[in-house]
Amino acid sequence: MKQTHSNIRPLFISLSILLFLSLTGCWSSHEIEEQSLGIGLAFDKGKKSSIEKEVNEQGGSYSKKDLITATYQFITPQVASSTTKQSGPQQKSYVNVSETGDSVHQMVRELSLRSEQPVTGHHMKVLVIGESLARSYKMEQLLDQNLRESEIRPSCLVLISKGRASKTLESKKAGEIPAFRLAGIVENAYRTTRIFPPMSHIKVESKIQSESSFLLQKVLSVNGQVKFAGAAVIDGKTHKMTGTLNEEDLEGVTWITGKGKGGVVKSFDKETGQLIVYEIESMKSNITPRVKGNNISFDVNIESVGRLSENWVISGDTFKNEFLKKAEKSSEKEVKRLVGNVLEKMQKEYQVDVAGFGNRLRIEHPKVWKKVKKDWDQTFSETPINYDVKLTINDYGTSGGSKR
Amino acid sequence: MILSPKDKITTPQTAVIVINFILGTGLLTLPRSSTEKVHTPDVWISVILGGVIAIIAGVIMVKLSQQFPEKTFYQYINDILGKWVGSLLSLVIICYFLTTSGFQLRSMAEVLRFLLLEGTPTWAVMMIFMWVGLYLIIGGINPIARLFEIILPLTLILFLVVTFMSIKIFEIDNLRPVLGEGISPVLKGVKTTALAFTGPEIMLLLIPFMNEPKKAIKAVLVGISIPLIFYVITVVMVIGALSVDGVVTRTWPTLDLIRSFEVAGLIFERFESLLLVVWIMQIFATFTITFYAAALGLAQLSKKSIHPFMFGLLPILYIIAMVPKNINDLFKLGDFIGNFALFLFGLLPLLLLIISRVKGGKYETNT
Amino acid sequence: MKMKKWISKIGKNGKGTNKDKQEANTPQDTKYQFTDNFNLNLEMVRQEIGHNWDVHFREFNLGRTGIRSVIIFADGLSDKDIIDKHIMTSLMVDFSAEYKQDLPYIKGSISKDFIKNEVLTISEVEEVGSIKELASKVLTGSTALLIDGSVDALILGTTKIKTRTVEEPVSEALVRGPRIGFTESLVDNTSFLRSSGEIENLSLVQFQVGKQSKKDLVVAYIKDIVDPELVQEVENRIKKIDIDSVPESGYVEQLIEDNYLSPFPQVQNTERPDRVIAALMEGRVAILLDGTPFALIVPVTLSMMLQSPEDYYERWIPGTFIRLLRYLTVVLALFTPSLYIAFISFHSGLIPTKLAISIIGTRSGVPFPALIEALFMEISIEILREAGLRLPKPIGPAMGIVGGLIIGEAAVQAGIVSPVLVIVVALTAISSFSIPHYSIGITLRILRFPAMICAATFGLYGVILFFLLMTSHLVKLKSFGVPYLSPAVPYRLSEWKDLMVRMPLMMMKRRPKIMHTKNPIRKG
Repeated sequence: MKQTHSNIRPLFISLSILLFLSLTGCWSSHEIEEQSLGIGLAFDKGKKSSIEKEVNEQGGSYSKKDLITATYQFITPQVASSTTKQSGPQQKSYVNVSETGDSVHQMVRELSLRSEQPVTGHHMKVLVIGESLARSYKMEQLLDQNLRESEIRPSCLVLISKGRASKTLESKKAGEIPAFRLAGIVENAYRTTRIFPPMSHIKVESKIQSESSFLLQKVLSVNGQVKFAGAAVIDGKTHKMTGTLNEEDLEGVTWITGKGKGGVVKSFDKETGQLIVYEIESMKSNITPRVKGNNISFDVNIESVGRLSENWVISGDTFKNEFLKKAEKSSEKEVKRLVGNVLEKMQKEYQVDVAGFGNRLRIEHPKVWKKVKKDWDQTFSETPINYDVKLTINDYGTSGGSKR
Repeated sequence: MILSPKDKITTPQTAVIVINFILGTGLLTLPRSSTEKVHTPDVWISVILGGVIAIIAGVIMVKLSQQFPEKTFYQYINDILGKWVGSLLSLVIICYFLTTSGFQLRSMAEVLRFLLLEGTPTWAVMMIFMWVGLYLIIGGINPIARLFEIILPLTLILFLVVTFMSIKIFEIDNLRPVLGEGISPVLKGVKTTALAFTGPEIMLLLIPFMNEPKKAIKAVLVGISIPLIFYVITVVMVIGALSVDGVVTRTWPTLDLIRSFEVAGLIFERFESLLLVVWIMQIFATFTITFYAAALGLAQLSKKSIHPFMFGLLPILYIIAMVPKNINDLFKLGDFIGNFALFLFGLLPLLLLIISRVKGGKYETNT
Repeated sequence: MKMKKWISKIGKNGKGTNKDKQEANTPQDTKYQFTDNFNLNLEMVRQEIGHNWDVHFREFNLGRTGIRSVIIFADGLSDKDIIDKHIMTSLMVDFSAEYKQDLPYIKGSISKDFIKNEVLTISEVEEVGSIKELASKVLTGSTALLIDGSVDALILGTTKIKTRTVEEPVSEALVRGPRIGFTESLVDNTSFLRSSGEIENLSLVQFQVGKQSKKDLVVAYIKDIVDPELVQEVENRIKKIDIDSVPESGYVEQLIEDNYLSPFPQVQNTERPDRVIAALMEGRVAILLDGTPFALIVPVTLSMMLQSPEDYYERWIPGTFIRLLRYLTVVLALFTPSLYIAFISFHSGLIPTKLAISIIGTRSGVPFPALIEALFMEISIEILREAGLRLPKPIGPAMGIVGGLIIGEAAVQAGIVSPVLVIVVALTAISSFSIPHYSIGITLRILRFPAMICAATFGLYGVILFFLLMTSHLVKLKSFGVPYLSPAVPYRLSEWKDLMVRMPLMMMKRRPKIMHTKNPIRKG
């Protein structure tokens, strides 16, 4: 017992000395209030802001080609304290700074020349890429730095904007933080089929690596307001944006993939021409690849259960199954139209598979997939696809019967 | 002092030591290193096969050691192969343990410097870690076993919680088809996955410390099965979320898995800190047990007290840890250790077992 | 195995010292021996203790026989009532009235037996042969009786027992449970143990500690349950105590503990007899010291320190809940400030975004790094706590509230600390109060300072390493041969019923295995 004591003592002493020595270090400590929290990021084609131009004129520049303009949205300690301390925010609760340059990383560091609180990316919520930039640069080039460094989390969302991306990070409402707004809208996927499941950095990365085409949610901005509108098609070969699906197309894709969590289908009654709205409770889609020799075809079976949520057909008696059947038929027709439209667009216009047909083939016929993998988008555009939609109305809310 | 009778550990403790030894760097890198080789979603099958191989190897090692239940490998190897060859082999194994120890130390420092402590010098990160490890192993095998027993439930709970949080981004399609390209890619990955299970070799040294050496087989079975379950869960969750193509490009895929989601509303929202806590503890476990194994080896080889060796090995460990110049070198070192282990603990024990069985009765009367 | 060896070593050492003492004492003893000369004896006693103002010599004649005698007693320590009624009266009045005719018979050496057996109406009578012994007895409240013609002195037990009323234990308050606390009187304390159920096997073995001022110490255990090796070990360690005086059981604790460098208490102290009984039933040993209400229990484990008797008095569901809560408070008390520092100064990326924004908002303008800020607040709350203890009782709590509220509020107002930190510090303080054991509470309070320093150096990594270091220490620590962390490790699943949770009493059938009890079954 004595022996252990005599061993412990020098160890204790040296440990405490080491502790105190290292105290002088505190190498990596950066107090939280000495940083600006970056929460949103927008990439655009290089175009200098007026401030930047003036800075450049006065000699504040370095050798660069001005390829990209990055707009950082961050919350500085000053802004944060004004929003938390006062009864209500009177001013903008965010700061946007644009920087033009070539390297994404270099631009962040340039920002340190302009503010005493360096921007950190740990809390980055969204990355918005301008359409024109997405059409001319490969996705992986734009995302490389974000994915490589430790700061920006792979959970950060990627969106494509129509027009300048920096505009989507602006808001006129006091107290609203645009980056949070964008990230928050994504969460509304349970209310509409027109929001594409969120694509985070890591998902984009795995899509890029698998060389398959994919969709990114598109967002447009008008006068400080934003709206999620359709999706951008990213080609699997070039990794550049090749086209756009509008809101209805996106709805169609959601039906094909069966990944929608909620939303409505609006249709008009055949006889009366009146409105019938079907609300989705659950949705399921089965894509079955059929391989016969070299011929590949797909059967898409879409099933959904929901309720009648709005009915303008005065004569419609919801207590009668006949009417419900009619309403189902009418909605089914609408869904078929959506699906048909988007399939047409995918196969004919863009010649890309963004609805996961290839994935199904890979799972069910891995050998075939190996053969066609290389030119899948091309093969896909010539593949016949049959689809069938079955909707079931099991509920019509608290008002029933006919309105007569 | 080298082997005083109070230093006995129970069978569960033995199993816990094996578990904690196995779980280490592999927890973070296994999904990538195995997917690289397999390249289909069937990695989890490779992991299971690798585990089975490890179990077989572990059982062979236990059988070998049970021939000499009173002695550690360093002691009985001389009986089997004679003094010179035996001592040489002991030295090789000591080197193996030292290198493993240094490798774990360095990987820990690399991840930490990347994720948590950007700017803190590597020496500081490693130094303090080594000191704490030294403080533990000075107490001998018993405190080590007990500390591991504390770490293990923490690991189990935190790790499972964190991994199952990622169910949010889990997609079953990423794991299909099962055996779509047949069994051959799966077999390609088995070597890599089997190497993730290095750790049962500690049984070569633990048997004489056990209070019931007869139950060593049971300990090694449990000791490998639990990491096996861990690894399968990890691989399944990582590939399920990131897809095969996404995993290959990530340096630390498991970390990226946890970083790829946020759960709003829970106190934490971000869970990589919990994963890192678990991981640092596991690295600590692997580090200390290999450190102890090396020091024990030197002590038994020279028949002297173990304490001076523990202190003396510290600078050596530091140097080994600092040898890899960059992270690629580090992974290469890891591969090297793996191949080394494959020979040392995959083939050698079998040979030794045969030799000792052939020589057989001679020793039984001796021991 | 090792313990056995160790014990035998101590045994040998113990014997050695005893022999030495005896040899040293013998020549002195002859010098202080009583002679048959009454005057000489009296003179010697006077020389030894006569200079003390509180020692009184009362000379008188036995009855009316003319035999000189003297009683010596210390004023205040001895009960004058007994002396007057039972000693003086018997010796002077009754003596002359009843035994006059036997006078010739009592002359000579038998006289003291006669007095002892037939005259004195006192229960405790003892004979001593040396002045040293007489002096020490008189100075602890006994009365000495010297009679002309008798070589030995009689020591009469007249110690006035100054007891205070039995009060509720101050340091371990309970909502439900006996309201009895130990007092300063050893006799009372042992009687509490005896009277709490008829335990036939309760052994109370007496020792004396202290070289200069001797004190009684009682080792209590239950013969049928306890591991004899443990008793042997405890007794050996107590015998080894070699110190001038032992004012409080804390001395004993520090002198018999296993590792004096450890910040963790390895002996449990308690004011509650029910707690001692419960420990005895588990096969532990209790040590009671005269003059202090704090009994010691050995060996202890960390989990014992975090339990309160109330866990068992309440039903098992609330008992379990409260116990889990307590484990949580341990974690909070130890790690909240350090985690605060780690997250604020190092890992702002690991905090939820919205929380990060509000923390930034409240912290902007705080001029200090988190460590200084936290140290400032933590130290001031420690000062407050200490001040509250020292202040007179009515002011104490008020002081705590006023100090806590005002300093906290003012510091936030002044922008020296952030409101979040005030919450953190308050949480830590409350958590450390809710730990049922004062001494382990102090340990945790102290340990959080190194934890904070680790956190300020290495962030979360530092906290993890601190945890590992602390745990490494704990797994090595033993209390009288029992691992400090048992039954948590090594795993004893059957005993986890009483570790973090408190399972129904129906299920707790066995005593802790680690105690090696003779009779492992607690409940049939």
